[in-house]
Amino acid sequence: MIHMALRVFRPPPGSDDKHCHRTNVHSEQTEKVVRAMKSFLFPILLFAILAVGCAHSPSPTSSLAPSAASFQSQQVTVTTNSEQITLKSPEISVKSESESVDDKEDLDDVEDEVEEEEAKIADPLEPFNRAMFHFNDKLYFWVLKPVAQGYNKVVPEAPRVGVNNFFSNLRFPIRFVSCLFQADFSCMATELGRFAVNTIWGVGGLLDPASSKQLNIPKKEADLGQTLGVYGLGQGFYIVWPILGPYSARDSIGIVGDYFLYPVSYITPWYDWLAVRGYEEVNATSLRIGDYESLKEAAIDPYVALRDAYVQYRQKMVEAARGKPTPPKPGGVGLGEATK
Amino acid sequence: MKRHFIGLSILMFFLSTLPVYAGAPLDTVQTNVNKVLDVLRDPKLKGESAKGIKKEKLEGIYEKMFDEVELSMRTLGGNWTKLNPAQQQEFIQLYRQILEKAYIDKILSYTNEKIVFSKENMLSNNQAEVQTKVITSSKEIPIFYKVILKDSTWEVYDVVVENVSLVQNYRSQFNSILAKNTPDQLLEILRKKVKEQ
Repeated sequence: MIHMALRVFRPPPGSDDKHCHRTNVHSEQTEKVVRAMKSFLFPILLFAILAVGCAHSPSPTSSLAPSAASFQSQQVTVTTNSEQITLKSPEISVKSESESVDDKEDLDDVEDEVEEEEAKIADPLEPFNRAMFHFNDKLYFWVLKPVAQGYNKVVPEAPRVGVNNFFSNLRFPIRFVSCLFQADFSCMATELGRFAVNTIWGVGGLLDPASSKQLNIPKKEADLGQTLGVYGLGQGFYIVWPILGPYSARDSIGIVGDYFLYPVSYITPWYDWLAVRGYEEVNATSLRIGDYESLKEAAIDPYVALRDAYVQYRQKMVEAARGKPTPPKPGGVGLGEATK
Repeated sequence: MKRHFIGLSILMFFLSTLPVYAGAPLDTVQTNVNKVLDVLRDPKLKGESAKGIKKEKLEGIYEKMFDEVELSMRTLGGNWTKLNPAQQQEFIQLYRQILEKAYIDKILSYTNEKIVFSKENMLSNNQAEVQTKVITSSKEIPIFYKVILKDSTWEVYDVVVENVSLVQNYRSQFNSILAKNTPDQLLEILRKKVKEQ
C-alpha cells in the first residue's frame, strides 16, 4: 500500500526542478510552524510533566515527611537525654533524700521531654504587644465578629467556602515562589498543578477539585517568612501588629514580600483594595467563628496562650519544610504504613 | 538480585510482625474517641436536658483516656518540684477542671464531623504519637495524641491540635505566671478561673 502511494506521488520526470522548489518552500513553512508549535508546546509539555509529577508526589511525601520529622525529634531527645543525665545527676542525688524513688524517675523523664522541643520567643515589647493584643481583641469582638455573624446569616456555608477557596487560589504566587526559594520542587509542582486544576476545573478557584479524593493534591502551606526560617533565620522577637495580629520579627519581613506576591495587593484605587481585603477577612472569619473564643476561654493568660500558639505553629511549619529533604528511615515508614 | 529479594522479604516478614505490638496506641485512642462519639450520637441523649448526663459520661471517658498526673507534671515541667505534694495534688485537680470545662462544651458542639485515624509513630519504647484528622464541612483539623504506656494501657499525656501542643501552651502560661508569683498564688489564679467558668 505504502509503496503504491509513493509511486502515485512520484513526480513526472519533466517537472523535477519546479517540484523541488515547491517542496523546499513547503518544508520551510512546516519548519516554521513546527518551531512555533515547539515554542508553544514546550511550556504545555513542561506543565504536563510537572502536573503528572505532582499527581504522584504528594502521597509519598505526605506519608514520609511526618516520619522523617519524628525521626529528627527522636534524635533530639536522645542527645538532650545524654546531656541532661550528665547535667542533672548531682541535683538528683541531692533531691533524692526528700523524694520517693518513683517520683524522681518520673520527673527525670519529664524534664528530658520538657527541654526537648520548646518553642520560645523573646518578647521585649511585651507592654506594647499586650496593648495591641487588647486592641485587636476589641476589634474582633466589636467589629469583625458581628459583621461576620451577620454575613453568616445571609450567605450559606457552601458559597463562603467557595470564596475562601477563591482567595486561597489567588495566593498561589506566594506559595509557589516560596517553594521556589526553598528549592522544593515537589512543592512547586504540587502548587502549580493545584493552581491549574482549580483555576480551570474549579471555576476560577471557587472549587477545590485538586483536594478531592480522586486527585488528592493537598495544599502546601508556604510563605516567605517560613522560607527565611528554612534558611536558618530565627523568629527574632514577638510583635503584635494592630489589625494584622501576632507576628515574629522574621515573619513581619515575610509578610512584606507576601504582600507583593499577592495579586489582590495590586488593586487600585486603594479603597477598592481595602474593600476586597476586608471582604476576604470577613469571609474567612465567618468560617472560624468560635476558634479564637475557645482559645481565650481555655487560657489562663490569653496573651501568652496566643503568643505560644503562634510560635509553636510557625516553628513546626519551618521544621516540616526543612525536614522534607532528609531521607526517611525505612523502619519508621514500615511501621506507619503497616498499621493503617 | 534474587538474593536481594529474599533478604528483603525476610526483612518484610520481621517488620510485619512488629505492628502487633505497635498497633496498640492507635487502637486505644481510637476506642476512646469512638466512645466519645457514641455518647455524642446517642439518640437517647438529645436535647438540652441530656447535656448533664452527656458531660458526666464524657468526664468518665476522659479520666480513663488521659493520664492526669503525667499531663500535670509535663505542663509544669521544671516548676513541678516547686510545688509541695499537697499543692501538686490540688494543681492536678484544678488543671483537670479547667481542661474539662474548656473543651467539653466544644466537644458537645460537634455533630457530623468525621474523624480519621491515619497513623502512629513510636517516639520511644513506651511513648507514641497517634495522628488523627477531624474533617468538617469547611476544613480538616489535624489532631495528634501523644500517649504513654502505663500499667499496660496507653494513656494520653498531650494533645497537639494543628501543630500546637496543649501541654506546651499551658506550660508557657504557667511559666510566665510562676516567674512573678509563688505556687500558692498560681493555685489561687486557677481556683478563680475554675469558679469563673
